[in-house]
Amino acid sequence: MDWECCWTKNEITPEECPYIAEGEEDLFGSLQRRVVEKCMECPRFKNDLQRMKELAYPLSEVLPLIITEYLEQKARMASMTSFVNRKTREIKFLHELNVVLQTSMDLDEVLSVAMTAITAGKGFGMNRAFLLMADKERQYLRGYLGVGPRNYEEAWQIWQEIDRSNNSLRAMARNFQRTKLTSEKVKFQDILEKLSVPLADEKHIFNRALRGRKPLLVEDVFHNPDVPPELARVLGVDCFLVMPLISRKRRIGIIIADNCVTHKPITPQDMQSMETFAFPVAFALERASLYERLREEVTKQTAANMKLKEQQELIVKMEKMALVGKITSSIAHSIRNPLMIIGGFARSLLKSSARDDQKRSYLETIVLEAKQLEDVLAEVLNYSDSLFPAMDMWDVNQLVTAVYDELRERLEQRGIRSSLETAPELPMVCIDYKQIAYCVRALIINSMELLPGSGEILLRTVTDGERVVVELSDDGPGLAPEMREALTTPFAATQQMGTGSGLPLCRTILERQGNELLIEDRPGGGTTYMISLPIRKEKE
Amino acid sequence: MAKLLVVDDEANIRLLYAQELSDEGYEVVTAASTAEAVEKLTGNGFDLVLLDIKLKNESGIELLQQIVKERHDLPVILSTAFSCYKDDFSAWLADGYVVKSSDLQELKAEIKRVLEKKNRIKAG
Repeated sequence: MDWECCWTKNEITPEECPYIAEGEEDLFGSLQRRVVEKCMECPRFKNDLQRMKELAYPLSEVLPLIITEYLEQKARMASMTSFVNRKTREIKFLHELNVVLQTSMDLDEVLSVAMTAITAGKGFGMNRAFLLMADKERQYLRGYLGVGPRNYEEAWQIWQEIDRSNNSLRAMARNFQRTKLTSEKVKFQDILEKLSVPLADEKHIFNRALRGRKPLLVEDVFHNPDVPPELARVLGVDCFLVMPLISRKRRIGIIIADNCVTHKPITPQDMQSMETFAFPVAFALERASLYERLREEVTKQTAANMKLKEQQELIVKMEKMALVGKITSSIAHSIRNPLMIIGGFARSLLKSSARDDQKRSYLETIVLEAKQLEDVLAEVLNYSDSLFPAMDMWDVNQLVTAVYDELRERLEQRGIRSSLETAPELPMVCIDYKQIAYCVRALIINSMELLPGSGEILLRTVTDGERVVVELSDDGPGLAPEMREALTTPFAATQQMGTGSGLPLCRTILERQGNELLIEDRPGGGTTYMISLPIRKEKE
Repeated sequence: MAKLLVVDDEANIRLLYAQELSDEGYEVVTAASTAEAVEKLTGNGFDLVLLDIKLKNESGIELLQQIVKERHDLPVILSTAFSCYKDDFSAWLADGYVVKSSDLQELKAEIKRVLEKKNRIKAG
């Protein structure tokens, strides 16, 4: 029988089967493979089967059934192989992703890995992705990072770059972190800002995805009643995926992914793969943010410890010095009095002794030696004084607040309303803290004593050109002329002024340091007192 | 002749001051404690008080405050063994201060200066 197909021949020539393509030449000499791979689907073989049927060949009824079944099984096998291959690739990718995520503590690196994984062709191959993270106060989901092209031209350029490089996920992520992380944040800043949503808005599609703990495929975006029109407009795509990031029970954030350039549909398989991917990403993000916070706390703690150590050392040093000063002063006091008596009487005797008295030289020696000892004492005391310089750079706001806090209770007890207003960014001034604090206290006490039962005291700090001014205004009866006069006369006393020493002493202290005390009547009644302190750059 | 009150708990210092200041032509009265000083100040026309800051178990500063409050026309010179007057601003209420020294020239000059100032104010 002369058959149309080559299925009866062990070896054939290329002319005998037009379905053997280039590269399959070995099929010319292998009947078994040729029949399985080519003949089963060859139209000539089908014709031969038809002829067999016509000629009533015994197997002609069964053969087509076997062949159909074989072809079906073959197709199923091919589909399964393709599925297994895809899953193998996916598992390999997820494994690579997990390894990278598990070994990273750096938030930016984790972000770069996650976003690269979503958008890279070898990953999930989405065109674009946005990451929104819950803020520290857990009030908002805030747009944090966007990745992907903004238009087709940019997409084409990116895909060409990816095609050229055959990097691992980690290398791609590192490259992204190094070259693009900051610029991508800036590039999508406008969109990111508009994506932010309060966590309390339970109806919002992002929060629903978080609550449902499953990815949400949002379709027909522009007509979907669940999508706020503003969100649809900002994203500008018909379909997007919302992937919740949850670590244990904690809401970390969400990832929004879409195919804004290719408009390729997002399949249930895409969603499934992304779901597998979401957990390690959420976990890694949480771990990285915790690690970052921990690092911040450790840095703060280290700085605080250093400061504490420095202060402890300073306290110990000051205590030692204070002790030295105290001992020195005590010794000096005990020595100076007898020394003064010895030297003083010797001088007295010397004065009254006759010029030719032979013992006069003894007296002179006593006077001289006493004087020398006194000089040594003075030197020692000056040194111990110099260990504690009174003038230093101080924050006047801190000083006034401390004094005000100290006296507030007394003011309240007297029924006096009071307030303190401190100027922001007040420059430091070089003052003797103790003395200026005394003056501020004296001003408050003075006003407090002058106010009849109730009234108001307003304290504030201001900058006036090259001076820092502490201002106290009261709505008291105002200073009587004799009181004003008394203030310019040292140690004057009026009954109204109590001891009478507060304000004059205050003025003396201020003037000795080159500062000023100004007193003005307030237009509506009451008095304003101003301590004016020049701003000096350096300690003088 | 100006009348001075010397307040010091040290007997020999009172003696030395009394002798030296009398030589300068002042009438000198001494007191060993603040109580004695307050008593002597009552009714007596003193022109100046020379006051030690550190008296035995007492503070000269308290006496100074009392004098400033009640007798603001009576000048006070503080006499100290060391510069402790810096620790208390109230010491600045005094008209002058001197650090104790066997050489009394400085003290005498300070007394002269304060008395002259007082007389000037009085003369108006």
